[in-house]
Amino acid sequence: MPIEQGILVENTPVAPDYYRLRLHLPKIARLCRPGQFVELTLSQTHDPLLPRPFSFMAADSRDIWILYRALGKGTGLLAKMRLDAKIRVLGPLGNGFAMPAASGRGGAADQMVLVGGGVGIPPLHHLAAAAIASKKIAPKNIRVFLGSRSAAHLLCEKEFKKMSVSLTLVTEDGSKGSKGLVTQPLERLLRASAGASGRLWVYACGPVPMLSAVAALCEKVGIACQVSLEAMMACGFGACLGCAVELKPQEEGLRYATVCKDGPVFDSKDILWR
Amino acid sequence: MAVKLGVTIGKIRLKNPVLVASGTFGYGKEFETFFDLKKLGGIVTKTITLKSRPGNPPPRIVETPAGMLNAIGLANPGVEAFIKDKLPPLARFKVPVIVSIMGYSVDELVRLSGRLEGASGFDGIELNLSCPNVAYHGPARVFAHDAGLIAQAVKAVRKKTRRTLIAKLSPDVSDIGAMAKAAEDNGADAVSLVNTFMGMKIDLKSRRPFLANKTGGLSGPCIRPIAVRMVWQARQRVRIPIIGIGGISASGSSVDAALLSNAGISGATSGQTGFAQGTAANATAQADQSPDAAKAAETGTGDDPEEQNKKKKGITLAAKVSRVTVLLPTKNN
Repeated sequence: MPIEQGILVENTPVAPDYYRLRLHLPKIARLCRPGQFVELTLSQTHDPLLPRPFSFMAADSRDIWILYRALGKGTGLLAKMRLDAKIRVLGPLGNGFAMPAASGRGGAADQMVLVGGGVGIPPLHHLAAAAIASKKIAPKNIRVFLGSRSAAHLLCEKEFKKMSVSLTLVTEDGSKGSKGLVTQPLERLLRASAGASGRLWVYACGPVPMLSAVAALCEKVGIACQVSLEAMMACGFGACLGCAVELKPQEEGLRYATVCKDGPVFDSKDILWR
Repeated sequence: MAVKLGVTIGKIRLKNPVLVASGTFGYGKEFETFFDLKKLGGIVTKTITLKSRPGNPPPRIVETPAGMLNAIGLANPGVEAFIKDKLPPLARFKVPVIVSIMGYSVDELVRLSGRLEGASGFDGIELNLSCPNVAYHGPARVFAHDAGLIAQAVKAVRKKTRRTLIAKLSPDVSDIGAMAKAAEDNGADAVSLVNTFMGMKIDLKSRRPFLANKTGGLSGPCIRPIAVRMVWQARQRVRIPIIGIGGISASGSSVDAALLSNAGISGATSGQTGFAQGTAANATAQADQSPDAAKAAETGTGDDPEEQNKKKKGITLAAKVSRVTVLLPTKNN
């Protein structure tokens, strides 16, 4: 996987504490698949020491877009970077989402169900865009469920609307869309689709409690689900074993996988949810 | 004028003094895409144990000012899987391979080194006597915190192998010189120091330690001054080569560590900077005998006059390794 100096061409605030950056990165950009990520070196000094992993909101053959929240030391620095700054990028890393494969059963078309929470939403935007561009799934068969604490954290709403996907918004405080948790309308859809002939491809990305709830729901209904996980990372490519996630144990006992290399996308059934 | 970069540690001839430190490099494969591994002076593998270990629960790592804590917990596939799956591909790189091993008891170390002795494709053993991240139950303790235990471990493994034997020491001791001496007295060909320092970071939200293991090993540029001091102290007590480890990065300021460790530097750009830059020791080994380099080497670092003289006579080269200027006070190799 290449290392490239990206040129910062956009770094725009899109919501309180949220920024959308665009990096001109032709070598890496054309290789980026939905669900993968890159590591950005944010400092020329030793503090912060480690690079920071970011997933994509979008990518084309020349540029990548990242939607991030300026919360800590690293992202705080990123938010202050000026246009034309050069940022060292390593990637693309990770396994990415598995796109729907033709089910070959005819009948109703397959549907993609995308469940996103907070800063987990941007990679699902990339996924939807890629699916539509591949012409394998029609926009109306992409059902997007976005949840967050409040309207301020509901990301990418405009972009999803432009794609003409089926969009459901849920906020815990009711400030936008319906009030409650995103798993509620999701459950209704999953149960309604139980007998349908088309296959449901479920993807989830967001806070761990949300992922855990979606995983439990899908297990109950008997549908496979791909979840994208996060973890603190050092190397980002499977050497240091720092980003371990616990998998359901098998005969040999405790098992861990690396979020950076075995993931970040996992079959939700394999994860030991706590 | 041609400049010699090679160093000899025990029976191993390294073409340059830069190695990648244990735990920072896995078993080599992940770094292949970044640079030509043949340029490295040597590879020290991630530590292996008799039985496979899954490692510690997450979180295993957390960043700290100019450093990081890790409590990976010696996750490794065990010696059998290592010999079968990890060792053969390492031969491809055609650089000296040093296998790092750890055991809870002298008996385990003996069995482990005995098992490895039958395998081929590696040149030396580094005894990880100093991992701070695994639980020690009952009478088991960190070997490297006790000169007597170091002596026992080195002596026992020395009997099992003719290969180069390196003892990796812990910095969490009050007399590193005594620890190094215990290793030297019992047959170690070299010592490597330091392993990570036991540290902790508290999560302010939960008010609990960030790491699941509570403590972790601190590494990175923040530890370099202490590592350098310890290498200096060890140098006062032993004659065997010292491999300096600790906070070495491609920032042009690892000269002090290199000056004192007359064998080599391990972890140069691979430990922290490796993670920080996605590249490991880019040992291009371009010789650079600039007057500045020679001058810096001559000034020494506060050794006693005899030591300084030795160094002045012995300085034959300066090598530029991935933007780090490494000066080697060598005997005339």
